[in-house]
Amino acid sequence: MNAKKILRTDLQQMIFLGMIVAMKIILSQFSFGSTIVKVGLGFIGSVLLAYFFGPVWGTIGGGISDLVSSAIFGNQGGFFIGFTLTAMAGPLIYALFLYNHPVKIWRIVASTILVTIIVNIGMNTLWLHLMYGMNFNALLVQRLPKEMIAPWVQMAVIYIVLQAVSRVKIKK
Amino acid sequence: MSKIIIGRYIPGDSLVYKMDPRGKLLITILFILTIFLANNPITYAIITLFCFLAIIATGLKARVFWNGVKPLIGLIFFTSLLQLFFMTGGKVFWHWWIFSISSYGIVNAIYIFVRFTLIILISTVMTVTTMPLEIADAMEWLLKPLKVVKVPVDKIALVISIALRFVPTLFDETLKIMNAQRSRGADFNDGGLIKRAKAIAPILIPLFIHSLETAIDLSTAMESRGYRGSEGRTKYRVLNWSKYDLISLAYFVLLVGLLLIFRTH
Repeated sequence: MNAKKILRTDLQQMIFLGMIVAMKIILSQFSFGSTIVKVGLGFIGSVLLAYFFGPVWGTIGGGISDLVSSAIFGNQGGFFIGFTLTAMAGPLIYALFLYNHPVKIWRIVASTILVTIIVNIGMNTLWLHLMYGMNFNALLVQRLPKEMIAPWVQMAVIYIVLQAVSRVKIKK
Repeated sequence: MSKIIIGRYIPGDSLVYKMDPRGKLLITILFILTIFLANNPITYAIITLFCFLAIIATGLKARVFWNGVKPLIGLIFFTSLLQLFFMTGGKVFWHWWIFSISSYGIVNAIYIFVRFTLIILISTVMTVTTMPLEIADAMEWLLKPLKVVKVPVDKIALVISIALRFVPTLFDETLKIMNAQRSRGADFNDGGLIKRAKAIAPILIPLFIHSLETAIDLSTAMESRGYRGSEGRTKYRVLNWSKYDLISLAYFVLLVGLLLIFRTH
């Protein structure tokens, strides 16, 4: 929680929130991995939002990140409120496990699995089902293979990132 | 890692450009919702026609819209194909294990293909004809009713404008950091998944520290210029409704009317 101690005023917090949202948007444009399994980096932004801002402002920040990235890059699936809710749910779940808690492996594992099941498999599939009228099972067949592999990579990245971020100290 | 183009705005001065971003944003959102109303060939034809009229009204080249659809075309085809195999009902033409091709499946696959394409096209119309700053202002306006339930809309507006302003800056910074790390031997595109995951920290941490420093500097600068919270301030960038928004509204009402008449109830 070093960054929280460094930031003094409410305004600093809000600007830092804006910067982290901008970071999340940029990170979500990058991905790594082979052509078979591509893991986007947007989840790192969600974790940072959750870790530093907690459930309330983390969730709001997640929503803002979806709005701003649609304004800049255009929303690839079209403007749909469901995906904004998805972007809000991720940081919310991460925050419940990671905010104001020491970095523990079980917290990372549990939050990532919950996010994968509730957000990526549950909500996003539901939105696509609602939006395009697709068959739910067909969607699951299409999405499940990726969601079986990606979480394990994400857990490793989250652990590395949180370890590193919690060591950041700025002397001004 | 992929190359990113920031901002998709293409300058122009056709009818669509003269509309208020708030009107455009609302109509884009509503248009996507009205696609749900379409459920038979006639309604799909109507909504396709209206979408293409909107595209023509932008006065932009077809290539712009093709570029919007192109990155997703593989996904659209794949999704439609899966739908084709999983939907059952009507006359069965081919059957194997859990897969079957039926008349119902074919019709549905076509519908999903059309929906997908239309939603992408209409969103492209929005993002290509409106500047990101204007879209953000429109979003801020749309969030205003949330004040009633005590959502801090002013703070959200501040965060939106800061995020919007700093995405290009932070993006440049990211590339700079990556190049700096590369020049000392970092490799971001090689090795197994775990090695690549570890390679993220040398990009992320400098970026994070940079944002933290910017936040502190910017807040000092804003406070020294007299910023004391969002209340009691005037607005420099103001959005104005124009007569062209009436055209888009009439157009939308006509579309919904036609869909309600022709859809199968």
